[in-house]
Amino acid sequence: MTNLLEVNNLNICFRNGKSITQPIRNVNFTVRSGEILGIVGESGCGKSVTSLAVMGLLPPKSSEITKGEIIFNEQHIEKMSEKQLQNIRGNEVSMIFQEPMTSLNPVFTIGQQLMEPLKQHKSLTKVQRKERIIEVLKQVGIPRAEQIIDEYPHQLSGGMRQRVMISLALLCEPKLLIADEPTTALDVTIQAQILELLKRIIAETNMSMMLITHDLGVIAEMCHRVVVMYAGSVVEEASVEELFDNPLHPYTKGLLKSLPSQNERKSALYSIAGQVPRPNELGQGCAFANRCEFATERCLTAAPPVFSVAQHKAKCWLLDETVGGVFSE
Amino acid sequence: MSKERLLSVSGLKKYFEISQGMFKPKIVVKAVDDVSFDIYKGETFALVGESGCGKSTTGRTILKLTEPTAGEVLFKEQNIAKLSYETMRKLRSQMQMVFQDPYASLNPKKTIQQILMEPLNVHKKFEPHERLNKIIDILKVVGLSEAHLHRYPHEFSGGQRQRIGIARAVILNPDFIVADEPVSALDVSVQSQVINLMLEIQKKLQLTYLFISHDLSVIQHMTDRVAVMYLGRIVEIANTEELFASPKHPYTQALLSAVPISHPKEKRERIVLEGDVPSPANPPSGCTFHPRCRFASDICKQIAPSAVAFSDTHMATCHLYNLEGEKK
Ligand SMILES: Nc1ncnc2c1ncn2[C@@H]1O[C@H](COP(=O)(O)OP(=O)(O)OP(=O)(O)O)[C@@H](O)[C@H]1O
Ligand SMILES: Nc1ncnc2c1ncn2[C@@H]1O[C@H](COP(=O)(O)OP(=O)(O)O)[C@@H](O)[C@H]1O
Ligand code: SF4
Ligand code: SF4
Ligand SMILES: [Mg+2]
Ligand SMILES: [Mg+2]
Repeated sequence: MTNLLEVNNLNICFRNGKSITQPIRNVNFTVRSGEILGIVGESGCGKSVTSLAVMGLLPPKSSEITKGEIIFNEQHIEKMSEKQLQNIRGNEVSMIFQEPMTSLNPVFTIGQQLMEPLKQHKSLTKVQRKERIIEVLKQVGIPRAEQIIDEYPHQLSGGMRQRVMISLALLCEPKLLIADEPTTALDVTIQAQILELLKRIIAETNMSMMLITHDLGVIAEMCHRVVVMYAGSVVEEASVEELFDNPLHPYTKGLLKSLPSQNERKSALYSIAGQVPRPNELGQGCAFANRCEFATERCLTAAPPVFSVAQHKAKCWLLDETVGGVFSE
Repeated sequence: MSKERLLSVSGLKKYFEISQGMFKPKIVVKAVDDVSFDIYKGETFALVGESGCGKSTTGRTILKLTEPTAGEVLFKEQNIAKLSYETMRKLRSQMQMVFQDPYASLNPKKTIQQILMEPLNVHKKFEPHERLNKIIDILKVVGLSEAHLHRYPHEFSGGQRQRIGIARAVILNPDFIVADEPVSALDVSVQSQVINLMLEIQKKLQLTYLFISHDLSVIQHMTDRVAVMYLGRIVEIANTEELFASPKHPYTQALLSAVPISHPKEKRERIVLEGDVPSPANPPSGCTFHPRCRFASDICKQIAPSAVAFSDTHMATCHLYNLEGEKK
């Protein structure tokens, strides 16, 4: 499989007056064509910022890519002008956001909003555009597609709005779909419908997907490979089976062990003590050291590099001694 | 577990009237529509269902934070609707609430000490000189310390704020706590810490919980009995283990099957529900689940099913079963 997207050594920092926010530090991952890559991590760990960077949507005034590259389909996103980005965005790469209501414009009909990307990126006649829109709405399982195009977002339920968002993202048949918590705002029964839909679309097309979530169940359900983020860095990368069967990083291990399904009913759940360090509390060493039961002197003084064991990577000192990991970056 | 009844809810209704402007008829939202259940001392009773099905409204009405439209709530066998102001005030200290959003539920202008002192002052609990010590004790119970007394809510993480919310709820030494989605806003690694805290103080302080959640894996882990709500009504009640092993109502079956798997190799047969939850302002006729139910028949569209008892502890409302709890 070839790599559709390569994020190499990405560093992002924010300039926000006095407040310090979590910078993105040395993030590496790839998305292969046709695969679903999961990105999992806690609130504030940098999932959304990373995906915005891939879309070229970082706020220009307050943020900056200080190092690294984002190569999409052999083109350097980080070097592109806004005009070049506009040609790609919503066309070759598109995004579904967490909150469908904030990303649909309340004053335009569904049809008007779906018309825009087609006008911008495809040379179709008016009739062809309408046909394409109805086709995509049907693909995402919207009943009465012909009528819905004349309705406004507030007339639709949450699940329907998320379907419209997905159809908007699919219109131009992108190569990469970035879905940032696409089902977090939805109920479980609706979540099951939407995940089913996304899985079907990826299987039917050659599209790739970056699926961002904090829910390990959604990861297990959907993904081929997984990247685990913690405090602005990638700490582990593996195939989904490897990650669940043989997690290498103590943070991932802790997350999996703390799932209620992994604990006897009514017993105290396994839990990772403490909390994510604030950006100004990060020291020289491993960002997880203050919560890690395996931390040694070395973890406090030196940040661990990435070690790999076959296709499985983790950023943890334990790997060099215990499993014979190979220093990989 | 002793089967001493702490709370009894019967025929509870809460309708909201929404004005559409002059000359237009008002819309009536039947947020809670004829709900009945008992909660026994020391147990954790769960209310589960999708957003808008009436879980929070049920919890708030029980605590008399809003007035019911109809129905009765007995707390320790006293009808709380009929209590005098003074008796209700005393009872209130025995019934507390923990909210979903630890950010919104604490006053940002007050220190932790002030936040925790307020209920003690209002209810004149303990001698004034003892109160500070009591606050420090409670902070320790929830895993915080004296060092936090003079800090403000924004200086804490989400998990710590939820600990403060729990401290505020238990400081008056209540018997009963309504916990409305207490861990939903928290990250996974913090969620398990707060669940553990709730389990621990339940034992230590002999609490009874009404635990409201839409997260079925948390419900399965920490509750004793579950009531499943759909559009303002309870469609099934059972012991937690029995509900997960043998759900009877088609909605419960679909809800359980929709939970994401917990390991990539797990296979689950999914019952995909068509469409969305209808509006509680205009619920479907008969069994309100019928437009989405794969077993719906003519009778379901016309007549609301009554409760069927499968055992002393398991009931569901569905036409699929006869009154003996057998499939028709
Ligand atoms: N425009 C911005 N200016 C300054 N800081 C920002 C900005 N956007 C995000 N951040 C900070 O960057 C960090 C990573 O944020 P990000 O939104 O990527 O988190 P996330 O992993 O998506 O979390 P969540 O699960 O809550 O969505 C956070 O500390 C956040 O406060
Ligand atoms: N104060 C209110 N005014 C009008 N409608 C309300 C009010 N509170 C709740 N509702 C409606 O009642 C129904 C049940 O709400 P709620 O109890 O909050 O559901 P849940 O907690 O199960 O998500 C919803 O349709 C909601 O919109
Ligand atoms: S490097 Fe050290 S502190 Fe960091 S996760 Fe590995 S063992 Fe723990
Ligand atoms: S009563 Fe009918 S519609 Fe309602 S859940 Fe039972 S079978 Fe389905
Ligand atoms: Mg985010
Ligand atoms: Mg609620």
